Amino acid sequence: MLLPKFEFHEPESIEKALVLKKQFNSGARFLAGGTDLLVYLKKKIVSTDHVISLQRIEGLGEIRENESDLFIGACTTMAAISRHPAVQKRFCALKSGADNMGTHLIRNRATIGGNVCNASPAGDTLPALLVYDAAALVISPDGKRDIPLRDFFKGPGKTDLKNDEILTGFRLPNPPDHSGAHYIQLGKRKSAEINVVNAASFLTIDPGAGNILSVRIALGSVAPTPIRAPEAEAALMGNTAGDDAFNAAAEIARSRDCSPIDDFRGSAAYRRAMVGVLTKRTLAAAFDQARA
Amino acid sequence: MKKLIQMTINDRAYEVAVEPNKTLADLIRYDLGLTGTKKGCDTGDCGACTVILNGDPVNSCLVLAVQADNAVIETIEGLSTDEGLHPLQQAFVEKGAIQCGFCTPGMILSAKNLLDKNPAPTEAEIREGISGNLCRCTGYQKIFEAIESTRS
Amino acid sequence: MKSYDVISTRANRIDTPDKATGKAVFVDDITLPGMLYGALLQSPHAHAKILSIDTTEAEKLPGVKAVITAKEAGQVKYGVSPARYDETVFAVDKVRYVGDEIAAVAATSLDVALDAVSRIKVTYEELPAVFTVEDAVKDGAPQLHDEFKGNLCAEVHQEFGNVAEGLENSDIVITTEMKSKRQDGAFIEMQGCIAEYDNRGVLTLTSSTQVPHYVQRTVAMVLGMDVGKVRVKKPYVGAGFGIKAAANPMELACCMLAKKTKKPVKMNFTREQVFMYGRARHRFHHTITTGAKKDGTLMALKHECWLDGGAYTSFGIATVYYTGSLLGGPYKLANMSYDGYRVYNNKPACGAQRGHGAVIARACFEQQLDMIAEKIGMDPLELRIKNMMETGDTTCNDLNMRSFGMAECIEAVRNGSDWDKKKGHMPPGKGIGMACGFFVSGAGYPIYRSDTFHGTVIVKLTEDGGTALVYTASAEIGQGSDTAFAMIAAEALGIPLENVRLASGDTDMGVDLGAYSSRQTLMTGHATKEAAENVRRQVLEVLSEQLNVPVEKMDIRNGFIEFDGDTPDFSALRTRYIKEHRGWTDNPDSDKLTFKEASRIAFLERGSIVGTGKYKPHSLGGKFKGAAVGTSPAYGCSAQVAEVTVDMDTGQITIDRITDAHDCGKAINMTSVEGQMEGSISMGIGEAMHEEVIFDNQGRVLNHDLAEYKIVTSMDMPRVKTIVVESDEPNGPFGAKEVGEGAIMPTIPAILNAVYDAAGVRVYELPLTPERVFHAIQEYRERTRASA
Repeated sequence: MLLPKFEFHEPESIEKALVLKKQFNSGARFLAGGTDLLVYLKKKIVSTDHVISLQRIEGLGEIRENESDLFIGACTTMAAISRHPAVQKRFCALKSGADNMGTHLIRNRATIGGNVCNASPAGDTLPALLVYDAAALVISPDGKRDIPLRDFFKGPGKTDLKNDEILTGFRLPNPPDHSGAHYIQLGKRKSAEINVVNAASFLTIDPGAGNILSVRIALGSVAPTPIRAPEAEAALMGNTAGDDAFNAAAEIARSRDCSPIDDFRGSAAYRRAMVGVLTKRTLAAAFDQARA
Repeated sequence: MKKLIQMTINDRAYEVAVEPNKTLADLIRYDLGLTGTKKGCDTGDCGACTVILNGDPVNSCLVLAVQADNAVIETIEGLSTDEGLHPLQQAFVEKGAIQCGFCTPGMILSAKNLLDKNPAPTEAEIREGISGNLCRCTGYQKIFEAIESTRS
Repeated sequence: MKSYDVISTRANRIDTPDKATGKAVFVDDITLPGMLYGALLQSPHAHAKILSIDTTEAEKLPGVKAVITAKEAGQVKYGVSPARYDETVFAVDKVRYVGDEIAAVAATSLDVALDAVSRIKVTYEELPAVFTVEDAVKDGAPQLHDEFKGNLCAEVHQEFGNVAEGLENSDIVITTEMKSKRQDGAFIEMQGCIAEYDNRGVLTLTSSTQVPHYVQRTVAMVLGMDVGKVRVKKPYVGAGFGIKAAANPMELACCMLAKKTKKPVKMNFTREQVFMYGRARHRFHHTITTGAKKDGTLMALKHECWLDGGAYTSFGIATVYYTGSLLGGPYKLANMSYDGYRVYNNKPACGAQRGHGAVIARACFEQQLDMIAEKIGMDPLELRIKNMMETGDTTCNDLNMRSFGMAECIEAVRNGSDWDKKKGHMPPGKGIGMACGFFVSGAGYPIYRSDTFHGTVIVKLTEDGGTALVYTASAEIGQGSDTAFAMIAAEALGIPLENVRLASGDTDMGVDLGAYSSRQTLMTGHATKEAAENVRRQVLEVLSEQLNVPVEKMDIRNGFIEFDGDTPDFSALRTRYIKEHRGWTDNPDSDKLTFKEASRIAFLERGSIVGTGKYKPHSLGGKFKGAAVGTSPAYGCSAQVAEVTVDMDTGQITIDRITDAHDCGKAINMTSVEGQMEGSISMGIGEAMHEEVIFDNQGRVLNHDLAEYKIVTSMDMPRVKTIVVESDEPNGPFGAKEVGEGAIMPTIPAILNAVYDAAGVRVYELPLTPERVFHAIQEYRERTRASA
């Protein structure tokens, strides 16, 4: 398979990248890991006259621990995320998402920024980023803005990013004490899988009373974008953590929070049923961590 | 427009002018003649085109050659030495881990990279470490055995 | 028991050092001077009339050297079986599936060739299309081929014994269905080829094929060339599994382009084109009724099957026969009937794939055996032992088992899996199941009716050095046949394996029908053995003359001449040998006469020592229509135990362990035998669990890549315990028979039976996706709730 012809640009700074993007506008596409873009170009799903690589821009591939949050550069690979000590220690659901994405070869190239900008409802890191309440950090010639990830996705393959903007990274607030999070992806095989359904949950509990202080549930492949499960979350807030609450929340997530469709990977009915199972399981696992 | 790039492949320096739309796999195979790197899908799904790029195994069909400017690359041709086969290659031969052989170069490079980074992997780590290299012939069992036989 | 020096060992394969180092050459690794690149124009419509084709714009493009359509290619019909040639290289008047070939271009680069293809203007008149068996057989359905009304490609009706009576006399009668999905070969090397046409009018095609011989015949026939001027060879091939067992349109187009341009032309399928071409396992829909006595004796089997064939016949006629003929065994069963139908529709043609025709029928039947065992309260393993065939038995459809270690296989998996301890004692969500199966060791007849030998082999000794050169047209496609034949030659000659060199896969080397129907070890193996024995005899005859020792009193072993009784004085021979090698530092000084010396003396006396071997099966049983499909000189058999865990909430299945025992006759190379068993199991697991080619409602393949078409990865494959059961097959070389396909037979039903043991659900449709299993569990829960 051949790639179509294009001009290749490799700016060394964000500023230069912004200039190039402004110059070529919608005729240009950003290249990060390339594991999606190059496939789409080969399969003629997308076309472009200019490819702007973000690979050589300093800082975009970094993970930085700040006092109250973690910065993950947009060009950080899945493999780098997975092996970073801070991710392993405090953001294990994200590690799990990164570990489940594609194959070990893809994870050495694929970036978190690419995974997010690709905006697939099935994206592996997206539920975790949602439950960790990540913000997408965006820059344009007009300045910077932060987009809460929950507002970032606008449809399959569609995001809130404007034509002249570049996603530089993500800020994930450090989880408070007595928190836990868990991610599960459900597919047909155990590697190289595109989810039929995926889900992540995050919980903070009061260690004394055992009631839920904060909760976030995110679901993938059951709506046009990865989504939060607001009704299930509302039902949990303030309640005592445990199987009863989780079962009830799972039922609400299943019946009210998702809108799956039939496609060749799975039926809406199965996806909906699995939302219940995965919500319950991710909550239970998150709870185990929170009280550990 | 062609771009001049430099790279080191198997300890040899190369300087080549490449079109931006040429993949690293095609450069290595068709321009540099290192045909041990195979292409089984061209879309990053099979792992036959695995090379080690700056220390990490990747699908070379999903890397632009221009992206590999200044890179250090290892292909299957770089593994065996004057003394003979690399121990992993020898283990693959002895354990019967090779049938059609089309996935083999990529599989061996993934395994080598795994062992370089983790000399005593568990069975689960071995499975994980070659999970992007599809093999349709062997059922992987003898590949596991070959890799296990060379771990420290 | 005769002892062997070379066979029955774990010798390293002769091809794998090159494969491990990247030196092994596959077709796309070859670049020839002046080579052009070809590309195909394929139909975007599933069913359409071609009103016009305009190639003007394509031809004008700089770099384009040839554009061909049906107009240039002619309309010679070809296919797999001469009984049903229904394809032309390029569509004539109409296209029948998305991917049907319309034109081909050769140009100076692939880029230009693809550009040219996109400039060919075709006007279509779309026709209504059908995509399922059900729709294709309806009254008034669109017809694919005028000659085959009702889209019925082939039908088979057979009865052996008296099924009605057998069922009447049964205490238990069970009827179930089994539906499968279209599988893909998913070999990692996509099809590719290079054709060259020289100035003397000789066409050489180098192709990723399993069957150089059949491709040679098809190329000669379609291009109207003298078969003596067509040479087909294969380099290393990245596997085939049946899909590469016939000439494909790309190979034929490539030959035409090379002939037209007088330049080498290379063509490759993309992965999407591999799926569009298809030719892999059919989608089957079986309905089987089995009757048994209360004591477990199987009485009768009634079998109906509908095969979703796609747009052309390909191997389909053989498939529809195999589906019926390979079912009754490995059990004693006096009454069996079969009604098979293969139906055309507007999807890519299906063909042969590992376990040709028989895999899903077996899944259905072996699941029923477990159901019968449960009804009568018998261990399913015991039920199989009770009914199994033994060495010397013949099935009701005339398949004769000259060696049959089925009992040994069952006992081996019983012990190997700890069956007796586990069956009935697994914790909830975990289960164990078993199944058996058997398969041919080579089709008894060539695909075209002929008295041809199925394999010929030449063994030639180097004029000096004592090396044996083996020349065979057989096809090493990964299964290890080159090594097996080198080992057989070494054993038969009495020399070490390292002194055998082998060249294969070239029609100039002889006739060999190729790698399909698990035929090569037995058939090419026989021819190799005969050729090597011929050479051995010639060397011994010369020694006999020189040393005055009768041939029967001499043997060759491990590269030395052994004498029965006293060793005669061979110093004259040694002196003669050494004189010719003055100055050499490695002249023999052993107590024994070496084969190196003996073979040199033989050359000095007789000239080049060349031996030939050949094989064709003896006359095989069965006079009824269709008896030719399923008869084989020998049958391999296997038993398998699967252990699984079922997630009762999600329907996800984890296969924890497989124990497999296979009777391959004498194992030529023990490691290769295990490799075939393990590979078969992985393909069976894929088909059982997640493989499925999915089409949209326009007949386009939706999942045409290896991300969405899901073969088994290293994370999915369980540990497999392989147990090689050796029997002595009288019709096999050194007693050897098949292992390449029989080992896939029990995998799917063993998993189905284990899932039932774990979750209490019977599933009658494949693959066992989490979703399908989940729904089965839900239904089961509702059913048990209702009855409670």
